[in-house]
Amino acid sequence: MDTSKYKALYLQETNEHISGIEKGLLTLEKDPAEGGAIDNLFRHYHSIKGMSASMGYDPLTKLAHAQEDLLDKVRSKKIALSPPIISTLLECLDSLKELVKKVEEDSPLDTDINPFLKMLASISEVRIENAAGAATAPRVSPQRETAVINVKEAFTANELKISNVMKVDGKVFDDLLTTVGDLFMVLSAFKPMTHASRSIEFKDGVHMLGKAINTIHKNILSARMLPIGDLTQSLPRIVRDICKASGKEVDLKIEGTEISLDRSILENLGSPLVHIIRNAVDHGIEPISERNSAGKLSVGTIKVKASIKRDRAIVEISDDGRGIDIEKIKKKAIAKGLSGDRVLAMSDKEAIKLICLPGLSTAETVTDTSGRGVGMDIVKELVEGIGGSLEIESTLGKGTKIILELPRTTSITKALVVSIGYEQFLVPISKIEKVKEVKTSDISGGVLELNGTEIPIISLGKTLGLEDSFDRDTYTILIVENTRPALGDKKLLGLKVDDFGDEIDAYIKPLVPPMSRLWGVSGIALMGDGKPVFLLDIAQIVSKSPHNNTLAAK
Amino acid sequence: MESKRVLIADDAAFFRVALRDILKKGGYEVVGEATNGAEALEQAAALRPDIVILDVVMPVKNGLEAAREISQLKLPLKIVMCTSLGYEPIVEEAIKSGACAYIIKPLSETKVLNTLGSLGIVKSQP
Repeated sequence: MDTSKYKALYLQETNEHISGIEKGLLTLEKDPAEGGAIDNLFRHYHSIKGMSASMGYDPLTKLAHAQEDLLDKVRSKKIALSPPIISTLLECLDSLKELVKKVEEDSPLDTDINPFLKMLASISEVRIENAAGAATAPRVSPQRETAVINVKEAFTANELKISNVMKVDGKVFDDLLTTVGDLFMVLSAFKPMTHASRSIEFKDGVHMLGKAINTIHKNILSARMLPIGDLTQSLPRIVRDICKASGKEVDLKIEGTEISLDRSILENLGSPLVHIIRNAVDHGIEPISERNSAGKLSVGTIKVKASIKRDRAIVEISDDGRGIDIEKIKKKAIAKGLSGDRVLAMSDKEAIKLICLPGLSTAETVTDTSGRGVGMDIVKELVEGIGGSLEIESTLGKGTKIILELPRTTSITKALVVSIGYEQFLVPISKIEKVKEVKTSDISGGVLELNGTEIPIISLGKTLGLEDSFDRDTYTILIVENTRPALGDKKLLGLKVDDFGDEIDAYIKPLVPPMSRLWGVSGIALMGDGKPVFLLDIAQIVSKSPHNNTLAAK
Repeated sequence: MESKRVLIADDAAFFRVALRDILKKGGYEVVGEATNGAEALEQAAALRPDIVILDVVMPVKNGLEAAREISQLKLPLKIVMCTSLGYEPIVEEAIKSGACAYIIKPLSETKVLNTLGSLGIVKSQP
C-alpha cells in the first residue's frame, strides 16, 4: 500500500489550490470584472474535487463540486457574481480548510457540510429564477456516482517507497540547536588552548572541528527557516474580515514575503502582527466620511514590508490613517497617574512610546475586533519575547508606522566580549557600528571627535550601576546608534568600556524570572570556561538610564 | 517487446504520479509529462508518443484545444481525454477535437488499462 505518497501530494496541491481560491475570491471582491480570476477559481475547485474523489474523501469532493458548479454558472454567465456569492464561497472555503486539516491529521472527516451545500444551493436557486429558461447544468447520473472506485484499490501493492520530504517535529530542531550551542561553547574552551599550544595537529584539529560545527549549525538553521510569506498569506483574509466588521475599506500591500525567519520566531510573530494590523484598521484608518473630508482616498492603505538589515529582519507595518495624537496620549498618561512634569518634559519620540504602557489606548470607541484591551503593551511584550524590538513613528493626520526589528535565527548570536573592571559582558555585533580604541585624552567633556563629528560618550559601567572602571590610559568605545532623545540629534553614541576581546558565536539562553526583570540585559551565555556572562540589551541601555547617568566626563 | 510510449498532461502532480504508476504497472513507458495544454502540444511534437492522455481542465491551454491542435499535427498517435465526473457532454466535443477514447476520473487501474488496451495499438517495433 502506498497511499501515503498520494496523500502528501494531495495535501500539498490541495493547499496550494486553497491559497489560490482565497486570493482569487479576494481579488474578485475588489474587482468583480476580473475575468481571468473566475476561470482560475473554477480550475482550483475542479482540481480539489478531482483529487478528493480519487482519494475517496467524500465530503471534500461534494463541497468542492458544489462550489465548482456555482463557479461554472458564474463563468457561463448564468448568474451574476455578487458580494453574497463571494461571502458564501469564503465561508465554504473555511469548511474546506477544516476538512483538509482533518485529512492531514488523519481525523475522521466529520464536518457537517450540509449547511454549506444548502447555502450554495439556495444561491443557485435565486439564479434559476432570475435567469429563466437558462439550460440547467448537466447532472451526474446516479449510476456514475456508484461507479466511483476508490483510488486505494488502484494504487495498491505497487512497490514500497518513502517520500524524500520528511515531516519532523519542530522540537527535534530545538534540541539539535541546543546541542550545537553546547558544541560552540566546548569549542570556545579549546580555542585559547590552541593559541598557547605548539602542536600543529591540535591547532588543525580544533580548526576542523570548528568548521564542522559551523556547517552543522548552518544546516540546522536553514532547515528551520521559513519565508515570512507563509505567515502573511492569511493577512488579506483577516483584513477583509476586520474591514467588513468596521465598514472601512483597506488596500493591504505586502512586500518582502521571501524574507525568511526561524520558524519559532515566525510562529510567535503572528499574534503581534495581527494585533498591530487590527489596531491599524480599527484605530488608524478613519471611517470613509472622515477620510473624504480630510481629502484622503476612501480606501485606506496598510503596508507590511519585510526586509533585512545586517543579521536582523525588519518588519514595518504602516498605515495612512489618522496617526497618533501625542497630546492626547500625554493627557491620558497624566490622568492615569504618571508624573505631569515628567510627561510634559518628554519629547514626541519619547511620548509616543507611552502607548506601550498598559491601559493607554486612545481609541474613542470600543470595537468588536480590537476592543480597547489589545493594547500596544501586549504587542511590545510579545515582540520582545522573541528577542525583537518595537519602534513607533507617527504623524498626526498622516499615519502611523510600526517598525519591528527581529532576530532571524534563534539562540545563536554573534557577540563581542567586552570587559568593565573585572566583569565581562556580551554585546550583540548587530548593535555595534564601530569599535574604537581611544586614549583618555581623546575624550573631552564627554564627547569624542571622530572624523569631524562629535559623538557623546556614556560610561557603560556607570549605566549598569557598576563601580567606576579603573583608571586607564586607553579605553574602548563601542559606537552604537543613538536612540536616546535626551542626547539631542546626534546619530551616534559611544559606550565606554575598558577593553574588548573576541567576537564569539554565543548560544544565548533566555532569562527566567526573577532574572528576566533585570534591567539592561536580555540573555545569558556560558563561556568556554563555564562562566556565565550576560548579553547586554543595548537598545534599552541607550534609550533610557535608571541611574540618571550623566556624561562620563573624565 | 517494445513498450508503448505515453505522454501525460495534467496540471495536478497528484494525477500525473497516479497515472505514471498505473501505466508503469501496465507495461507502458511514460515519455513525457506536461502540466498544461501548451506543453502537451510541444512535447507531443517533440517526443512522438504513441498515446497522449490529456486532462480537460488545465491552465494556459485546456485539453480540448490541445487535442485539436495535436491532431492537426497528423502524427501517428492516439489521444485519450481524461475528465472528471459531470463532464460527459464534453466527451462529444472531445471526439470532435480528435480524441478516440476517454477516461472518467477518479482514476483506477482497471479503467485506465482497459481504455488504453482497447485503442488497438499494435505493440510494434518502431
